[in-house]
Amino acid sequence: MAVLDHERQRDKVAGEASNAPDEALSVEARGENLLAICFTAMASPCEVLLPSTTAPAAALELGAVVAQEAWRVEKKFSRYRSDSVTAWIHENRGTAIEVDRETASLIDFACRCFELSGGLFDVTSGVLRYAWKFDGSDRIPEPAAVERLLPRVGFKKLQWRSPRLLLPDGMELDFGGIGKEYAVDRAYDSLAVRCSDPFLINFGGDLRANRPPPHGPWQVGIERPDTDRRATMILDLQHGALATSGDSRRFLLKDGVRYGHILDPRTGWPIPDSPRSVTVAASSCTEAGLLSTLALLQGARAREFLEEHGVRYWLLQ
Amino acid sequence: MQLRFETRRAKAADTRRQLMAASCALLGAAAARGEEARMAPADSGLLEDWSVDSALAYYHEDGRIQAIEPVVNIAKLFADGQALNFNVTFDSLTGSSPNGALTSRSAQTFASPSGKSSHAYTTAPGQLPVDPHYQDDRIAVAGTWALPLTRVDQLSVGAKLSDEHDFFSVTVDASIAHDFNEKNTTLSFGISEEFDSLQPIGGAPVAGSDYALFEKTGHKSKNGVGALLGVTQVVTRNWLFEFNLSVDRFKGYLNDPYKITSIIDSAGNTTGYEFESRPDQRTRKSAYWENRVALGRQISTGLALRYMRDDWGVRSDTAQLHLRWSFSNLDRYVEPTFRWYRQTAANFYTPFILSTETRNTPYEASDSRLGAFHALTYGLKYAQKLPGLGGREESELSLRVEYYQQTFDERTATPAALQGLDLYPGLKAVLVQVGWRF
Repeated sequence: MAVLDHERQRDKVAGEASNAPDEALSVEARGENLLAICFTAMASPCEVLLPSTTAPAAALELGAVVAQEAWRVEKKFSRYRSDSVTAWIHENRGTAIEVDRETASLIDFACRCFELSGGLFDVTSGVLRYAWKFDGSDRIPEPAAVERLLPRVGFKKLQWRSPRLLLPDGMELDFGGIGKEYAVDRAYDSLAVRCSDPFLINFGGDLRANRPPPHGPWQVGIERPDTDRRATMILDLQHGALATSGDSRRFLLKDGVRYGHILDPRTGWPIPDSPRSVTVAASSCTEAGLLSTLALLQGARAREFLEEHGVRYWLLQ
Repeated sequence: MQLRFETRRAKAADTRRQLMAASCALLGAAAARGEEARMAPADSGLLEDWSVDSALAYYHEDGRIQAIEPVVNIAKLFADGQALNFNVTFDSLTGSSPNGALTSRSAQTFASPSGKSSHAYTTAPGQLPVDPHYQDDRIAVAGTWALPLTRVDQLSVGAKLSDEHDFFSVTVDASIAHDFNEKNTTLSFGISEEFDSLQPIGGAPVAGSDYALFEKTGHKSKNGVGALLGVTQVVTRNWLFEFNLSVDRFKGYLNDPYKITSIIDSAGNTTGYEFESRPDQRTRKSAYWENRVALGRQISTGLALRYMRDDWGVRSDTAQLHLRWSFSNLDRYVEPTFRWYRQTAANFYTPFILSTETRNTPYEASDSRLGAFHALTYGLKYAQKLPGLGGREESELSLRVEYYQQTFDERTATPAALQGLDLYPGLKAVLVQVGWRF
């Protein structure tokens, strides 16, 4: 059975260097029973797993459907591309613009998440990275520098009535926190109408499967996020989605205090005692990703939050 | 303590449901819509912030009227979420229009409404009398202003002007919409008022007066008020419906000033004509239910049903079904449409007046639009998405062709002498429309 490679599970902020997606696909055998079609998107290794009985040409074709969707979502919403909708929105700050329906539904979703999380989940919080560089050093920012950025954070400050958006000067939208999970679900929908075989789509550790392959459930390895990055847990997945949030490699350490990279958009400072990684199972990857992100944002209350919400989860402190 | 824990747990379960609903709304919207096309980066220009929907239609009725109709719709957005929308329509109709008289075994000569002898026309025996000089140009301008009041409430006000050489109409309307239930439900309520002024060529005929006596008065007017109550509901991620109830009431001169009714004797000979005479009030009530369903990524379908009844005795039913099938790369689609329509006749509808019979109502009209008929429309639309202009996401070029076929369900007993004549010729029409949205 396949053990999925979470080795390079990265934070969504990674990948400043890769501006143009490297549009190449490769087919690999995974053990005796599975085929993997691999490509890179959103700065993550991505793959589609199919039973090895699938003809390689057909597998490549199905893989291409998934890759095209991943690249499309990346191209459309990436902060790092000058031709993305995100860039276009940023260029038109201070002006009311009308966004397309897909962007509108993402903003609606971000709006609901903001409301339901009491302001913890905020797609406008990306500007805080101008103060915070999580490079493992001890360079924590001046409180004044963080303070100066706060007026530029807050979903409430933008004017949104679908499909009309007015993004105030100085603010940014960042769909990075939901984009990868959303891309998994969109790719899943595109593949589901074309493929009746069992399949699993994995974009850098956020994944979704339609049903188990004939030889038993999908086996998914969850990486333990410490120096010894070896899969410590193998989960059996029949169908549904898993998403993981958190990255142990991104932190600052000063005077013995560890500052994790999960920032509270309301204060601009890291949320203390948040888990290193949270993996959540749900029916869609978007929902799983949202729940795992919200859990991280609870800090020390993460486990309690997951329990209260009756979620299937794996938490690494 | 236990109670508090339970409360928190219940609240968490509720939040979980709402998170799930938000995810489903996002993904469901994507599924219902299919893949979004490429988005072109902003390129400042005159059309920035404007969206333009334009169409040119050509309508042709077999042996009767033809029309050319350009339409332009432009929408402009303001910084605070307000929106303005303007629509300009121009119609140019020419051809032959039935004047209401009955087909006869003899030739029939009619004077034109203006009384000019050069415009008199004669209809050959066995032919449906039509006025061959029918010509009408209409220009209509409509504007709507939408104003968000809160995040979930919106007020819209609108006005419409329509002008023809013998008719001028002004309509004003206002509506309010409220979103609730996670924006899955929208309730709306609207009212409208219409003022019409008629200045028929040669004057407005006195209702029911003798055609030969040319009893006409100056200009006439009518006005109407209407109200609409509607609900739009997202039922599942793939199903949305809209349900409306509406009522309107018109008062004033409701006749068509150019329609006459034949008076025939028991042998079937036409002995004269009189101008039509309709009641001076009409109240209509209608219910409309539209469903839109996405069946997978490439196929969506819609079914709309409408029921209308008025106090003139006209009841109509409409059913319309469409299916949109997108090609696999989603930049093209074809949309076949089928519409079925049926109406009953107004109480006072009569194809002719029998001079030997006593009339039990002061009203009469032979206008086929008040008769009983059914109609079928078959349509096909093809649309191709193209790169956008002026910062818009995309543009769409479309071609629509419709074929309309109307059949009369008239059952009035006819004098023997008229049997064998086609007294109720149906109507066949073709519509071709080219649209460009950008």
